[in-house]
Amino acid sequence: MITKKVKINSPDGLHMKPAHELVKVAQKFQSKIILNKDGTKVEGKSILSVLALAAGIGQELELIADGPDENEAIEALVILFNHDFK
Amino acid sequence: MIKTNAKKMIKLKGVAASSGIAIGQGFKLTGDVIKVEERDIPRGKIELEIKKFKKAIDSTKRELGEIQSQAKSKIGKEGKDVFDAHLSLLEDQLVIEETIAQIKKQRKNSDFIYYEVMQGFQDSLQNVDNEYFMGRVADIKDVKRRLIKNIQGRESRFLNNITKKAIIVAHDLTPSETVLLDRQKVLAFATDTGGKTSHAAIMARSMQIPSVVGVEKITSNVNTGDTVIVDGINGIVIINPSQLILNKYLKLRAAYDELTKDLSRFRELPCRTLDGKDVELSANLDFLDEVNSIINYGAKGIGLFRTEYLYMTSEKLPTEEDEFQEYLNISEMFHPHPVIIRTLDIGGDKNPRCCSIPEEDNPAMGWRAIRFCLENPNIFKSQLRAILRASANKNVKILLPMISCVEEIYKTKTIIDQVKGELLSLKIPFDDNIEIGAMIEVPSAALTADVIAEEVDFLSIGTNDLIQYTVAVDRTNLRVAYLYNRLPLSVLRLIQRVVDAGHSKGVWVGMCGEMAGDPLATLILLGIGLDELSVSPAMILEIKKIIRTVTFADSQKIAEKALQMRTSEQVERYIRNVMTTRYKLKIN
Repeated sequence: MITKKVKINSPDGLHMKPAHELVKVAQKFQSKIILNKDGTKVEGKSILSVLALAAGIGQELELIADGPDENEAIEALVILFNHDFK
Repeated sequence: MIKTNAKKMIKLKGVAASSGIAIGQGFKLTGDVIKVEERDIPRGKIELEIKKFKKAIDSTKRELGEIQSQAKSKIGKEGKDVFDAHLSLLEDQLVIEETIAQIKKQRKNSDFIYYEVMQGFQDSLQNVDNEYFMGRVADIKDVKRRLIKNIQGRESRFLNNITKKAIIVAHDLTPSETVLLDRQKVLAFATDTGGKTSHAAIMARSMQIPSVVGVEKITSNVNTGDTVIVDGINGIVIINPSQLILNKYLKLRAAYDELTKDLSRFRELPCRTLDGKDVELSANLDFLDEVNSIINYGAKGIGLFRTEYLYMTSEKLPTEEDEFQEYLNISEMFHPHPVIIRTLDIGGDKNPRCCSIPEEDNPAMGWRAIRFCLENPNIFKSQLRAILRASANKNVKILLPMISCVEEIYKTKTIIDQVKGELLSLKIPFDDNIEIGAMIEVPSAALTADVIAEEVDFLSIGTNDLIQYTVAVDRTNLRVAYLYNRLPLSVLRLIQRVVDAGHSKGVWVGMCGEMAGDPLATLILLGIGLDELSVSPAMILEIKKIIRTVTFADSQKIAEKALQMRTSEQVERYIRNVMTTRYKLKIN
């Protein structure tokens, strides 16, 4: 299992479009993906769970990946966060 | 037919979501309440129930696909993206797996179980203190309703039973319902719920359907068949109007419709008087989602980019990077035309949570805008760095709000020079010759505009505050509102001083307040010699039309005459007379 801290930079936070992009990337991997916002942990492959975090701009999140391709998964997700989900 | 009757007229206020005026018969959509009953499913039929659930997902997916292609053709990429997300909501694996597991465990019907699972997510978003996330509940509901209806084998509401032109009144409209509205039949809509940033509102704007949302109790006040007026310009709905009001709105609608039809031909034409004087006509930008309408209306540049929205959405300050990306994005979109970015203008009536401004007895005259920024150099520098970094393409200018005296310009320039030095040493590109302008909205600045002009590259007049401070009137206070004129003589004279002062020092002078977009003021402003007018997107074409109809020489004479009158009322009467008789211009 590996973890990585990221920060949300898009002005509306982890809103519908970023959440959609995030889930799309997460689903490409076999590993379990978890998002941790100040102790609230949700399933990273579920757009509803990601939206329900209501993570705003500036919010820090911990990404957790656990599985055979955890390294690649984290790497791909971090890139997504750093490029503002584009 | 449109008729007035003995029923009592009711006027309701809401949020203007999409511009335009519609008058017609109300058509009340019955609430789209989904009824979900809890039923036991016999053990032997569980697999069948799960199959039914999966089949409903498939048909919902097909429906959403069709809606998405309509959204794409009616609205464009933005519309397509919304339904990409809806499809993703529909196919949420966690929800599907949980629903199936619970059907097996509880042995209940699938629509009931799915409803319960979705409710959990909906509740957690409903309680978030953020307009954006709360707004997404409408998206979740939309998907949920459609799937539950498909499980139950029921048709989606209405859409088919609107047979004649009508104004739709509903508790709410989902994004998918909005996209499917037939522009030929739906004159406008008004809803109990919703806000300016809801997807339904955004789509209504793209589809140019006038609408007012968030009108409390509209559904309980309207019956199908009532005459309804939707004023999407001012966010007003009137039910059963009196003959007087109806006549007023019939005229307004005719004027608006003619304007939009007639005006579109001005889109590509230069903003030039008959005798060849060009006036820079640009748009005010409040929110990112106005960019499309600004481009549609043919504005070339942004004369006032209000940056407050970046600060209002969160408890935390935006990072320099956030701001840089936003500014860069906008400046690239309008390149090579100028984008004038106003630095943070908070305080007064805007008090974001991320900047702790203490409560004041008299906030209009208190710690706000440049006064706040100069005391908070970290916040100010971060914004200035972001603006400077976005200026590398050389079409960005800086505008400083609420300047009262030249000392504030000195201080700000020192800070800008520091920031420039830092960027230089880090080899980060920026426009070293970036233009810096002062907003003239305080009488003390207007009276010393010649001094201020020596220190800046341009002046931009903000009329809302300038009127408030010059006439000493709060226009929201009804007792003194009579003092708030559309063409206040005192302020017009002050504006002339500012323009003359700027020109004598060789800097250009623009205007970005509400008056710049008031057609009644255009002739005078042109005649006074303003070089630029920055107006709200919806007014661009109308103002351009007026400027293209007159000569600069004439407008100078008109302005001179107007400014010598004795009362604001006389000025207004004179201008109306000139516009309608001499230029055959219609005016509201």
